[in-house]
Amino acid sequence: MSVAIHIKNLNYSYEPEKPVLQNISLDINPGEKFGIIGPMGSGKSTLLLHINGILMGEGTVKIGNTVIEKKSLADIRRKVGLVFQNPDDQLFNPTVEEDVAFGPLNFGFRSEEVAERVKYALEAMNLTGFEESLSHHLSMGERKRVALATVLALKPEVIALDEPFSSLDPPMMMQLLDLINDFEATLVIVSQSLLPLVTCCDRVALINKGKIIAVGPVKEIIKDDDLMKSNGLDLSFYKKTFKEFF
Amino acid sequence: MTFLGIIIIVSEPQGKILPFAFYGLVVLTLILLSRIPLLFILKRFLILSPFILMAALFFPLSLWLSKEEQIVDLQHPAFKVALSIFLKAGLSVLLLILLISTDKFHNLLLGLRKLKMPKLIGVIAALMYRYVFILSDEALKTKLARESRTAGKLKVNKMKVFSNQMAMIFLRSWERSKIIYHSMLSRGFNGEFPVMQKLALNRVDIMFFVCFLTAFLAIRLLIMPVT
Repeated sequence: MSVAIHIKNLNYSYEPEKPVLQNISLDINPGEKFGIIGPMGSGKSTLLLHINGILMGEGTVKIGNTVIEKKSLADIRRKVGLVFQNPDDQLFNPTVEEDVAFGPLNFGFRSEEVAERVKYALEAMNLTGFEESLSHHLSMGERKRVALATVLALKPEVIALDEPFSSLDPPMMMQLLDLINDFEATLVIVSQSLLPLVTCCDRVALINKGKIIAVGPVKEIIKDDDLMKSNGLDLSFYKKTFKEFF
Repeated sequence: MTFLGIIIIVSEPQGKILPFAFYGLVVLTLILLSRIPLLFILKRFLILSPFILMAALFFPLSLWLSKEEQIVDLQHPAFKVALSIFLKAGLSVLLLILLISTDKFHNLLLGLRKLKMPKLIGVIAALMYRYVFILSDEALKTKLARESRTAGKLKVNKMKVFSNQMAMIFLRSWERSKIIYHSMLSRGFNGEFPVMQKLALNRVDIMFFVCFLTAFLAIRLLIMPVT
């Protein structure tokens, strides 16, 4: 069976002699919901930027059968939607409608097709009626949904989300999880919030210091106390608190 | 229409005062038709008035400073020129306030693009408008951070603290601009800001345009002919 994302021996550094990603190899299956976890500064977000071709390190990254290289970037960016951690970084147009239409317009879709895609994305994110709203007037939860709509409008094969659960209150997080669980595309989620990942991911990769430490079913990895603790993700505080209060 | 109105007003010969009373009437009619409270427009005008005043007084002031002419009273022709500059700039500013108060910013950008404004300037203006609120939030955060650690007056060098704050806002903006650019690239940005909306003039727009352009031109060509 072909894979949705194939990464082989990927290395990357922002500065010489300071590698951020080291020899990363990973296969993610079509339609899979895949999490990437790890301590702060472990290289999770840097890895995510490689999936969309924003960064191109040494090694091979393939989306479906397409190798990410300069000449395939337009195709890759249509196939992979990238949602940034802070929606204010994602929403740079004056209105919601223009932001959602930005991708489809850039890829040269006809105006009827663009209008149809905008309608589809806003409906999927429960944002119908927000077309003329100004992004900076929306709540954080609404802005996160608009940010998701901006990539949904491209109907991508892969959606890569960087910390989608940060700055959300519990009801908003549940709403976002419901929406994510309904996605049919292959999903790659980078998150420090491990609890939501348990409910939406099939597998996770644990990354530390730019290296993949473990890949496996989400519950298996997270339940492995020694593995988590030795890689800067000590969950004993949460476990103890949950036992005490719930 | 705003730009044509401004061109007609600004191109009025120096030193004439009376035509501006008629232009003023047309601008007032536009303000009344817009149903925007006069106080709202006046407040914005007052914010800009020091700059208009500065521009107007520049000519008599430069004459006085260069000591080329003795300016002894307000009857001096330099003041007449200054008054006409003030009226020209004032009326133009009123027209611009009216324009930005009656239309959405992105529609203005679309309109400017239709008027062949360079694409790059359009992109910069759109991003500036989008991020000015975020930058002001960042400025507020750094201000709160400073105030939360100071009681009353600053005992350290104020200028140093202020410049550090400015540098921090600049660095944050710089970092953020990189991420935003990545976000634009990830959705296929190739240097252009394509737009979905298409602006079209309807019959009312055309009638409005013709009526007021006729009024401006009538003042310029018929009522107060240029001699």
